[in-house]
Amino acid sequence: MRKTRTLVAGALGIATAVALTACGGGSSNTADAKSSGSAGTGSGSGKTITVWNMQGDLTDATMKAINDEFTKETGAQVKVQTQQWADISTKVTTALATDDTPDVVELGNTDVPLFANSGGLADLTSAKDQLQQGGTWLDGLAGPATVDGKLYAVPAFAATRTVIYNKKMWEQAGVKAAPTTYQQLTADLDKVKAKFGGQQDFSPFYLPGKYWYDGLQWVWDAGGDIATQDGSTWKGALESSQAQQGLADFKAFQNAYSTKASATIDTTGTGQPDQDKDIFAAGKTSAVLGNAWEIGVIEQDNPKLKDADLGTFPFPGKSGKSQPVMLAGSDWGIAAKSKNQDLAQTWVKIAASQAMQTGPIVGQGWIPITTEEINSAKGQADALHKAYFEAATNSKSTPAAANWATIEGDGAVQQFFADIASGAKSPANAAKGFDDHLDQVLNNNG
Amino acid sequence: MSVTPRRGRVVANILAVMFCLVWIFPVYWMVNTAFKRPNDVTTPTPQFVPVHPTLTNFRAAITQSHFLGDLRNSVIVVAGTLVIAIALGIFAAAALSRFRFRGRRVILVLILAVQMLPAAALLIPMFLVFNKMGLLDHYLGLILAYVAAVLPFSIWVMRGFFLAIPYELEEAAMVDGASTGSILFRILFPLVAPGVIATSIFAFVYAWNDYLIAYTFMKDQSMYTLPVWLASFSTPTTGTNYGGQMAASVLFSLPVVIFFLCIQRNLVSGMSAGAVKG
Amino acid sequence: MSSPAATTVAAGEPVVAAASPRRPRRQRPGRGVKRSGIVPLLLLSPAGLVILALTTVPIGYLIWMSFTDASQRMLFTGEYDVVGLRQYRDILTDPEFWRSFVRTVLFTGAMVAGSVLLGMGVAQLLGKLGRVLRFAVTVVLIFAWAMPNVASSMVWGWLFQPGYGIGNWLLTQTHLFGDVTDTNWADRPWLALTCIWMLIVWQAVPFIALTLNAAQTQVDASYYEAARLDGASEWRVYWTITLHFLRPTLLLVTILSIIWDFNVFNQIWLISKGGPDGATSTLGVYAYRNAFVSFHFGAGSAIAVLTTLLLLVLTAFYIRSLVRTGEEL
Repeated sequence: MRKTRTLVAGALGIATAVALTACGGGSSNTADAKSSGSAGTGSGSGKTITVWNMQGDLTDATMKAINDEFTKETGAQVKVQTQQWADISTKVTTALATDDTPDVVELGNTDVPLFANSGGLADLTSAKDQLQQGGTWLDGLAGPATVDGKLYAVPAFAATRTVIYNKKMWEQAGVKAAPTTYQQLTADLDKVKAKFGGQQDFSPFYLPGKYWYDGLQWVWDAGGDIATQDGSTWKGALESSQAQQGLADFKAFQNAYSTKASATIDTTGTGQPDQDKDIFAAGKTSAVLGNAWEIGVIEQDNPKLKDADLGTFPFPGKSGKSQPVMLAGSDWGIAAKSKNQDLAQTWVKIAASQAMQTGPIVGQGWIPITTEEINSAKGQADALHKAYFEAATNSKSTPAAANWATIEGDGAVQQFFADIASGAKSPANAAKGFDDHLDQVLNNNG
Repeated sequence: MSVTPRRGRVVANILAVMFCLVWIFPVYWMVNTAFKRPNDVTTPTPQFVPVHPTLTNFRAAITQSHFLGDLRNSVIVVAGTLVIAIALGIFAAAALSRFRFRGRRVILVLILAVQMLPAAALLIPMFLVFNKMGLLDHYLGLILAYVAAVLPFSIWVMRGFFLAIPYELEEAAMVDGASTGSILFRILFPLVAPGVIATSIFAFVYAWNDYLIAYTFMKDQSMYTLPVWLASFSTPTTGTNYGGQMAASVLFSLPVVIFFLCIQRNLVSGMSAGAVKG
Repeated sequence: MSSPAATTVAAGEPVVAAASPRRPRRQRPGRGVKRSGIVPLLLLSPAGLVILALTTVPIGYLIWMSFTDASQRMLFTGEYDVVGLRQYRDILTDPEFWRSFVRTVLFTGAMVAGSVLLGMGVAQLLGKLGRVLRFAVTVVLIFAWAMPNVASSMVWGWLFQPGYGIGNWLLTQTHLFGDVTDTNWADRPWLALTCIWMLIVWQAVPFIALTLNAAQTQVDASYYEAARLDGASEWRVYWTITLHFLRPTLLLVTILSIIWDFNVFNQIWLISKGGPDGATSTLGVYAYRNAFVSFHFGAGSAIAVLTTLLLLVLTAFYIRSLVRTGEEL
C-alpha cells in the first residue's frame, strides 16, 4: 500500500507542478501606470517601452540614434525586438491582442489599414500636429494610416523602386548613357540583347511575372488604377481601357526582355531564385527594378560589382513621364492596449523628426517622410541614390482599404500579373476575374 | 521469411536498386545543392556533382541570425516535450487499458476525434488561453502546447501496447502480493518500450517541425526555434540564395534523420518482436 | 490535432487492430485491477489536466468562436457579434466551400491510394531482399520519412522550379514531352496537384512500407510453404495469404493516412499557397486563408469545425468497427 501511496503522490505532484508553473509568473511586464504629463519631460525614468521593428529596415545604428535621443528626453529605456516579414500580420495581430503588447510596432504601409480599422492601434488624431512637426507627409504613407479622418500611425520611412542596371554590361553593348524615355530604354535593351542574348538564361531586363509592384507601375502609367472608391464601396478598376493598355504593355515588355521561366515567379521567395543574388549578381541579367537596399545585396553577393559599375534611373513610362512608383515604406503604430501611450508617442515623434529623417534614415538609403525633406535630401544624394528621390516625386499607393492586406496575403494580385505575363489569361479575362475578387474582398467588412 | 526463387531474387534486387535511386534523389539533390557555389546553383545545365564544392553556404547558415540560439531552443523544447509527453501519456494509457471505469469509451473516441482537428485552427484559441496563463514567451508554454498536441496520439499508441500484454503476467504478480505501483513500474512499463519509442518519434518530429505555434507564442527573437529560423531564409532582404536555403534545410533535417537512424533498429525490431502480434 | 505530415510511427496500432483476428486467446472481459477505484483517476489526472486545460478549453473556444463573426476587432477591442448558425449556413451555401470539400476528398483519396499501394509494393519488395539491399532500402525510406516537411517542401519547390529546376531538366531529357524547362508546376492546377501529391507520397510511403513489412514478417512461413507446394502462383500467394494477414494493419495505416492527408497543410501552403486561383485549396488551406489571411476567425473556426465533422463521418465506419470487433473500449 505504501507503494501505491507513493505512486498517487507522484501523480498528484506532477499535476500540481504543471498547474503551478502554468498559473505562475508570466512574461515580465512592467505594467506601469500611464505616464502622465506631456511627452518629453523626463517623466519616464525607470520605465521601458518595447519597440518592434522589421528585419532589414532600420539598422541597429539608426535605432540606437533614436533610442538614445528618446532616453535623453524622457529617461526611459527602449527594448527593441526585431521581427521577420514572414507571416508578420499574424504575429502582430496576436501581439496587439495581449496585455503586454509591444508599445510601438513597425507596420508595412500596405498593412496599416488592416490594423487601423480593427481597433488595434491607438488613435493619434489629437497629437497629429505635434507628430507631424510642420512637414507634409507623403500621401503613400499617411493615407493608409488615416481612417475616417482619424490618424492611426506615423510614417517611418519610404522607399521607391528604380531600374538598377549593370553599367559595364551596357557599355559593352554600346550604351553610354541612361535612357530617359521609353523608346530609348527599349532600344538600349535591344542592344544588350544583341550582345548577350546568346546565353541561354539571360534576360536583358529581369522582370518576374509575379512582381506586382512593377506591374502596377504600368497600370498607373497608362492612367489606370487598381480600384476606385465610390462613397464607401470599392470597385475593381482593372478592366478600364487605360488599365488594359498598361497591362498589355507590361506583358509585351516582360515577354520581350525577360526569360520565359520568369513569367510565373516572383523576385524572391522559397524555392525561387533571388532577383539580386541569384540573377543580377550572377550576371544573368543586366537590369532589374529594385529598391535601394538591393544595391547593397548585389554588391555583397558579387564583390566584383562596385558602385561605379552600377547605375540607376527611374523607369521611363510610355506616358512620357517616369512610371509612377508604388511607394513602399513603413509606419509606426502605437498599440491601443499599450500602457505607455505618452512615452510611445514621444518615441514615434523622435523617429519622425527631421533630425532622424535627414540623418541616419536618409543615410541608410531610405526616402524621408516629408516632401520638404525629400527636396533637401535630393540635392545631397550620391549618383546611385538620386534616382530614388526623383522617383519619389511621382508615387502612388495601393487602395487604403482595410482588407487590402487579404489581397496581398492570398497571392491573388501576384497571380493576376503572372497570368498575364505568361499568357495563361488575356489581360481582359484576368482583369475580369481579379476585379470580381477585389469587389468581394475589399467590400467585405469582416 | 519466405523463400524466393532465384529469378525472383534478381528482379527484386533490380527493383530495389531502382527504387533507392529514385527515392533518395530529392535528398541527394538537396545535399548536392548545399555544397555548390551560388553561381553553380542556377546553371541551365544542372551539375550533378558540385564542380567547385564549398562550405560557404553552411558557414553562412550557421553564422547568420541566431542559428545556434535557435538550435538550443529547439533542443530544449523538444526534450521537454518528449519527457512530459511520455510521462503523462504512459500513465494515462495504463489507466485506459488496464482499468475499468466510467466514461472510458467516450474518452477514447474523443482522443481519436481530437486528432482530426486541423492544427492551425486552434492557434488563436490556444494563444488566448496561454496568454491568460502567462505562458507566452516561455519554453514551458511551447512545451505544453506540443504536449497537448501529441498526447492524444501517444496515449492511443501506448495503450495499444498495453493491451498486448497478457493479463496473466499481472495476475501472477498480484498473486505474489505485488502492489499496483510495482506492477506498473516493474512489469507493464518495460513491456511497452516500443510504444514509448513510437511516441518519442512522433513527439520529436512534431515539436521539431512546428512553425506556426513557435512563431506566434514566442515574442522575442532569441526564443525562436529552428523552423522559424529556416523560414527567415526566404525573406527578401536577408534571406540567402538558394544554396543557403538548401544548406539550412540540411542542417535542419540532420538531427531528425540521425534520431530516426538510431531508433530504427529498435523500431523495426520492436514492431516485429511482440507489438505486431500474430 | 493531427500531425502535419505522416511522419510518425504507430507501431502499437497494429496490435489494436491485429489483436482480434490473430490472437489465439482473447483477453478476459472485465479484466483489470479493481482494487482502488481512485487509482486510475489519479493516473489519468496529470495527462487529463494538461489535455483539459490546453486542448479542451481551446476547442471549446473554437466552437464558440464559430458562432460569432470574431475577427481582429474582437482580439483588440473585445467587440464581436454572435451570428449563430447563420455563419454555418453562409459557409455551407458557399460554392467555394463545396469545391474545396470535393477537392479535399478527391485529393486525399489520391494521396492515400498512392501511398498505400506503393507502400504495399515496397513492403513486399523488402521481404524478398537480402540483408544488404534491405538495409539500403530501409535507410533510403528513413531519410525520406525523417526530413521535416518544411525542408522537404523547400527542396520540392526547387526541384520543380521553372528554368533551373532539375525536375524539368530531367523531363526534357526524356524527349517525351518536348522542352518543358520553363514549366512552373506551381502555376498550373493539375501540375501543382501532381507536384504536391508526389511530395506527400514520397514522405508517407516509408511509414506504411515499414509497418506493413513488420506485419508481414510475422506471418508464419509454413503458410507460404504449403501454398507453394500446392502450386499456387506468386500472385495468388500474395492475394490469399499475405493480404489476409495484413488486413488489420492495412486498415489501420489507411485510416491514419486518411486522417493525416486530409489535414495536410504545410506542403500545400509552401508550394502553391493554395493557388493557382485556389486550385490546390483543400479545406485546411481554405480554413487557414479565412483565419489568417483575412483574419475572419469566426468563419475560419466554423470551417475547421465542419472539416473535423466531415472527417469524423468519413472515418466513422472504422470507429464503429473498432467498437464492434470486441476491442475492449
